[in-house]
Amino acid sequence: MSTWLAIYYFFSYIVFGYTLAIMASYLLFVFLSWSMQLRLKVDIPDDEVIKYQLQGSPLTPAVSIIAPAYNEEVTIIDNVNSLMQIDYPDYEIIIVNDASSDRTLELLIETFEMVEVPYDITMRVPSKPIKRVFKSTNPEFSKLVVVDKERGGRKSDGSNAGINVCSNRYFVCTDVDCIIEPMALYRMMWTVINSHVPVIGVSATMLMSNACVVEDGRVVEAHVPWSFFPMFQQLEYLRSFLISKLGWSRINALPNISGGFGLFDLDVVVKSGGYDNTSMAEDVDMLLRMVTYMRNTGQKYRVVQVPKVCCWTEGPSSMRALYRQRIRWARGLYEIVVNHRKLFFNPHYGPIGAFTLPFIFLFEFIAPMLELSGIGFMVWLIFAGGVNWGTAALLFAMIYLFSVLMCFILLFFDYNMDAVNWHNRRRSYIHLAFAAFIEPIVYHPIITYCSNIGYFQYLSGQAAIWKPIQRKGVKKRDNAQKPTGNETKPTT
Amino acid sequence: MDDISLISYYFNVLASYASYYWAYYRDSFRDYPYEVQTAVVIIQWSSIAVVFLIALIEKKGHHRRLKERIIEMLEEHYGEAIDYVFDREHNWPMSRDEIYGRFDVDEQQAAKKGLLRNKLQKQMMCMIIYQHLIASGNSWTNRRKNVHLMLNIFALPAFLEQEVAFANLFIKMKALAVVRAFKLPVSPWVINMLMASKKTRVKRVAMYLSVAGSADSELDYFETDFFDKNSCIYDEIELGYMLNRRRDAGMKLPNLAHWARLQKRDETKCMFVRLMRRFDQKEYCYQLEDLFKTSKHKKLIEEIARTWGYLNYTAGEQQLIDIMLTQPDDTKVAIMHAVTRMSSGKSLTLLLDGYRNSTNPHVRFEALRCMYNYNDDGWRMLDELEAEATEEEKHFFEFFHNPITISRLDLDHEQAYHPSVETVFNLSN
Repeated sequence: MSTWLAIYYFFSYIVFGYTLAIMASYLLFVFLSWSMQLRLKVDIPDDEVIKYQLQGSPLTPAVSIIAPAYNEEVTIIDNVNSLMQIDYPDYEIIIVNDASSDRTLELLIETFEMVEVPYDITMRVPSKPIKRVFKSTNPEFSKLVVVDKERGGRKSDGSNAGINVCSNRYFVCTDVDCIIEPMALYRMMWTVINSHVPVIGVSATMLMSNACVVEDGRVVEAHVPWSFFPMFQQLEYLRSFLISKLGWSRINALPNISGGFGLFDLDVVVKSGGYDNTSMAEDVDMLLRMVTYMRNTGQKYRVVQVPKVCCWTEGPSSMRALYRQRIRWARGLYEIVVNHRKLFFNPHYGPIGAFTLPFIFLFEFIAPMLELSGIGFMVWLIFAGGVNWGTAALLFAMIYLFSVLMCFILLFFDYNMDAVNWHNRRRSYIHLAFAAFIEPIVYHPIITYCSNIGYFQYLSGQAAIWKPIQRKGVKKRDNAQKPTGNETKPTT
Repeated sequence: MDDISLISYYFNVLASYASYYWAYYRDSFRDYPYEVQTAVVIIQWSSIAVVFLIALIEKKGHHRRLKERIIEMLEEHYGEAIDYVFDREHNWPMSRDEIYGRFDVDEQQAAKKGLLRNKLQKQMMCMIIYQHLIASGNSWTNRRKNVHLMLNIFALPAFLEQEVAFANLFIKMKALAVVRAFKLPVSPWVINMLMASKKTRVKRVAMYLSVAGSADSELDYFETDFFDKNSCIYDEIELGYMLNRRRDAGMKLPNLAHWARLQKRDETKCMFVRLMRRFDQKEYCYQLEDLFKTSKHKKLIEEIARTWGYLNYTAGEQQLIDIMLTQPDDTKVAIMHAVTRMSSGKSLTLLLDGYRNSTNPHVRFEALRCMYNYNDDGWRMLDELEAEATEEEKHFFEFFHNPITISRLDLDHEQAYHPSVETVFNLSN
């Protein structure tokens, strides 16, 4: 058999089988996610019920919110004010200033009446030295702690410094520019409070804030962005959180708690070494080390996904920013595959070793490379005149329609769980459906391209560049346009 | 042709069409390659599924809009009156006539016909009153006399009891939350029914419903090993509420050490030991000695040590000293902090051992921290250790050269609650 014939058969049988396996796995996710939704509908009551049961109790566990900041002078005050709006009985906010070269620290000190205080810091996890700790002399800001540290260069170093200062058993790691839903901590902590097995991490749904209307640090109108990249990312994030992560959560095999917003058990984080400052995928890396620690010490644990939106973040809106972000993710994925290879296909590490990591390896890590080789094969067939256009169109339609189906399932899940409180639900769904119809043709090839570039850069040993995304800012409503209060619909 | 024959005839026609199209569907791609056959099946089913999902979302949307309309209507009719009732709950109980008058309802007519037409309206009314309750800022300890009268106008107590007893799990849990918030009495048969549930959550909520009263017999659950799964923080919160309520009412609190000893599961024992600490039950600390000696559960030993330390149960100090060096690192730290709280002078050498014999930097550091917090002797010992410290050990002591806050990790929850800069550093002076 000639080499060309072998390639032909490889694509005809192996790759076609691979495609069907991906489809089957997505259907399995849909089933698992649905099963998890049924469970959560009973286990997680309405926000009001949670609040009513937890707000009055001094036994409700306290939470620390850690938000590293670097050169955020334009938005830092608004962002901290937004964090202070969170509704939870007992929490502290730790802003870690990673040696900003602008006026970030000065603004914080001036605005919140901060003074330098001696502080009890135990270096639990490695981070660059902490220079000073500030607290406010104004009781109104008693929840706020500002940490000034030497430049670490990465968010993970700032997060580790926050972990060293943090005084509560549970902490949330977030970005300082994220807009957190007021009820987010209640929603996340409810899963911790109600679990009979220790919960070591809670992942929450995050969405793009690019088109949202923000007032007083809160998202008051949730919209799907019309701009090109954020629109597809909205769909992508929803699919990831409501189908994949919820599905993994059903079998306690969640592989990742987003670095943008996630809740962790401090004790387990410290024992597993905190964030790795050298990793490009520090969030996945830390969760995998936490799971490894729990499995190696024979302790039971749970990692949970909360379906309701808890956090809004501004996604990259330019090709350049998206390209950088996806290259970083691809490099991170490659790193995870290399660094945590002993977990792969290893049932000792539970469902995460037996199912999640093999899935990531087979269907997320390999897929972009196969897609690229598939495109190359197609080009070769075109030049060789070996394309049966009817069959090719049929196969393309199969993948396309299946992808659209997944998006409609996603919309149904969102509706069922009331995951996002859309300002105009019908319009948002039509918008997302529109994005779903063009995503496979327009957006997906770009992501595949970025992933392959990321792999190539990693293999060729090119240095990783970590640049923060240039934010355009979200829409803010003027005071004149403030809602009257009658617009709030009661939860049913 | 009679009706049954007619139906049978049409059914046969339909079945013939179905079998014809099924055969057509099955055979139309028979001679094609397997890729084509597979693709066609996926395309067809995906298209059908998309249409089905759109229809499903529309149907659910219709139901949701219906609910919203009902809520709007009920809010418009009764929203103001409900607010008024909640406002007055703080001040004085309203009479029956006053409440009926406020709702502009004729009592006899309400009793005869009922003001709410169907189940959905009743469900929505429950949710509205519940939301108004939360908005009014009523705490767990407030009265519900007016609210109960108001619920009777809409015949909601009986409806809620039915929902709690017979509805599906989702509705049942919602109804249970509402019943608890309204502090409605629930019939014993409903409680028994819920206690027989296979779902742990339902059983527990039912138990907490039944211990919401003040009779001592309601605490009988804890005289057995009730918890069939490990306790969770929710249990602790609920028990905290229950005990707090009893304490506020001037009742004697149950012996939590006794309950701890009755439990089979170590996690549950830990929960009761923690609650002892919270409710200052020093008089029962001696009952934990057996548990302390026999238990092999690391966390339980830690919790007992913390409780003894916090409650200053000095009789247990020697036992803590005896076992300290054989324990895992986390337990060592808990014991060192416990004996530091007692600060009797007996345990200073133990802290020295903790520092010298441990290889774990965290344990060594905590031993020094305990010396710092101990008393003047502790400070002297700290100075001596610093004088003889090697270069590598010096960094342990740097921490103690500046005034520090006490580690908030080891404080009681109440002490650590929102520690503002004033409380910690006394800056206001």
